[in-house]
Amino acid sequence: MSLAIAGMGWVTPLGNGVDAVWERLLRGDEASATPISEQFADRSYSVFRVPESAVTGLAHPRLRRASVISRFAATAGLEALQAAAVKVDSQNAERIALIFAISNGGVIYTKRFYRDVVETGAQAASPLLFPETVFNAPASHLGAILGVTGTTYTVVGDGAVGLLAIKMAEDVMTDKSLDYCLVVGTEEIDWLLCDAYWRWRLLRSAPPMEPFGKQKRGMILSEGAGAVVLAPEGPITIERAHPGGCYGKRAEAEEILKRILRDLSQVEVDFVISSANGTFIDQAEQGALQQVIPDVVTYTAKPALGESVGASGLWQVILGAQALRHGELPPVLHADLAISLRLARSRMTVAGARRAIILNSGVNQQVAGLRLALR
Amino acid sequence: MAQLSSTTREKNPERVAVVAAGVVSPLGFGLAETLNSLRRAKDCITSVTRFSVADCRCKTAGQISDERLLAGLNKKPRAKRLHRASHMMIHALREALIQVPQFEPELTIIGTTSGGMSYGEQYYRSLCRSGNLRHAATWIANYPAQKPVIDAQEEVLGASVPCQVIANACASGTNAIGHGFECVRSGRYQRVLTGGYDALSELVFTGFDSLQASTPEKCRPFDRHRAGMVLGEGAAILALENLELARKRGAPVLAEIVGYGISTDNFHITQPDPSGVGPQQAMEWALQSAEISADQVDYINAHGTATIFNDAAEGKAISQLFNGVPVSSTKSMMGHSLGAAGAIEAVISLLSLRHQFLPPNINFDALDDCLDLNVVANESRPAVVRMALSNSFGFGGTNASILMRRVEA
Repeated sequence: MSLAIAGMGWVTPLGNGVDAVWERLLRGDEASATPISEQFADRSYSVFRVPESAVTGLAHPRLRRASVISRFAATAGLEALQAAAVKVDSQNAERIALIFAISNGGVIYTKRFYRDVVETGAQAASPLLFPETVFNAPASHLGAILGVTGTTYTVVGDGAVGLLAIKMAEDVMTDKSLDYCLVVGTEEIDWLLCDAYWRWRLLRSAPPMEPFGKQKRGMILSEGAGAVVLAPEGPITIERAHPGGCYGKRAEAEEILKRILRDLSQVEVDFVISSANGTFIDQAEQGALQQVIPDVVTYTAKPALGESVGASGLWQVILGAQALRHGELPPVLHADLAISLRLARSRMTVAGARRAIILNSGVNQQVAGLRLALR
Repeated sequence: MAQLSSTTREKNPERVAVVAAGVVSPLGFGLAETLNSLRRAKDCITSVTRFSVADCRCKTAGQISDERLLAGLNKKPRAKRLHRASHMMIHALREALIQVPQFEPELTIIGTTSGGMSYGEQYYRSLCRSGNLRHAATWIANYPAQKPVIDAQEEVLGASVPCQVIANACASGTNAIGHGFECVRSGRYQRVLTGGYDALSELVFTGFDSLQASTPEKCRPFDRHRAGMVLGEGAAILALENLELARKRGAPVLAEIVGYGISTDNFHITQPDPSGVGPQQAMEWALQSAEISADQVDYINAHGTATIFNDAAEGKAISQLFNGVPVSSTKSMMGHSLGAAGAIEAVISLLSLRHQFLPPNINFDALDDCLDLNVVANESRPAVVRMALSNSFGFGGTNASILMRRVEA
């Protein structure tokens, strides 16, 4: 079964709105890094934050106490529904499925909740914060804002979770009583996350993020959301969603990526949206791309937008869809000239492009891929 | 309605067999111990030992002994680093796959709520107290929710299978099984591993305590004097297969999953709509999906957390749909294991179908005056059970029900 993208929504460190963010990427803009610190630690990290202006103007009682992760999701989700001209009402509330992709979830409130427990004791634990620590809190808030009453799933995983959520949407949409599926990927940043990735040797202290670099200097975390409305009809189709795979050791990631690429490149593809982020996964993606489809143009937006983990898969799908629609790819920033892949090193025309592969490798053992096609 | 029925889905939906199951919970390790505990109405709630509960109202939980969990541990250094949740998943998956060694899943769908949360807690505590962070990378790498699933696959299957991890709060386990059922039923997949897991953690324990959802007393689902839930932990796995293919290859068919309903009520992030509309829709849609009537159901394994609000809403929904069907909440014996609950309770429903008995709802004194339910009070009893319904509901207004049918040998 082939689903189509009927609408998209985007909240990123380069602002919100699909066309506005796209224009900035085409211009070669890069998000501004801001420092993030913590009272009990000396170390600070650089992150790409979503500007405040990107999520203002969204008022709903359910968001009053919600963390920014839910605001990002709601902003992107509502934009996608508007773009698809889908209005949720009592007639169709059960005909729209909602699937969320999340990796770290509501880490800001989770830390705040547990900090009170650690510092003061269980009697200080906040009953208002606790529900926001639950993975499906953002889905619940958006579900309540929209009034959907049927199928709602929150899928958790690493950076590949966005594409896994789309694969799940494909499975869910075999139910003919569903008209649409809104898939949202969302993530928020906290110092704690930065510290965790740093200790895991995956984070670099300051930009730039250098994709496919030999040094694997690490990534810069970012936040935001991406949303797509999937429907039977639309100008861009999810022609094939691979179920993905899990690698045990890092060295095995490349083999699984090759299998995914072989499966997705059985028809001619025009470009690849990679998830290269300056970590070990770049090497796996590069190796797989060079062996399976060495001549295909590759693009990654992560040096410009940062690594948004749970949101990143949806961002890549939006990038692929925009490139197919507009026949252009933005420039890959900060890529070494010695990299042997065919990268879109400057704004590049891909006029007439019909198909794109979205390749998504997470840092915690999951990889996934799908193929978009222009109808 | 979202999950209306098979008639809107496919003209000839595939039938879905449960060909194997594995479980570890406070009730025991494996199907046989679990069955024994259920028959004996064993109260498996004990004082919490994993972390301090001195400042909490509730002091008890259903817990799994580390001694047993880690016995026979793979001697590789990697195995020692795994989170307890990974070990629970390994036990459950191993038990399931011993029954069907040739089972090659195309997809794994698992429910959880908190992954390896206790590793996150250790990391945070060490950071705050300038403590020893030598193991931080291990804690961080083993914390994510997909990790126990991948660990179990590697350890037991020795293979990489694509996995989807559903985190729909306390409905996660039933959602995972329901979605797995839909995947096989649609014909898109032939073999899916599904289930759920969750390990007890301080953060979650304290959270439910802060909401005053957990009780310092006994867990008494549907009782007039119920005062809240008690947490638990565990893991359960069900191997699902296209029934026709399973029979062709001579695989055992333990039961058939015939229906699934999922609904969302937007009443409140932690409380169900008091009308019971969400649970009622999930159960109705499961019945419609199975194309059966309510009077064909012989047993309901209720979500039954023993909170005032859940039991009132669920009880109302059950009595509106069913007329005197025996109901029990097995959480009274083992606690509420969150993302694992739906999966463990699916296994309990399976045992009920296989062994023709009704699992008990212990600590039961008298039915809440506002409810009209046929509670299986305090003792298990023999019964003809051809069809069992299992409910799970969670934060965010997420509701899920699955229906399982007995299959004659």
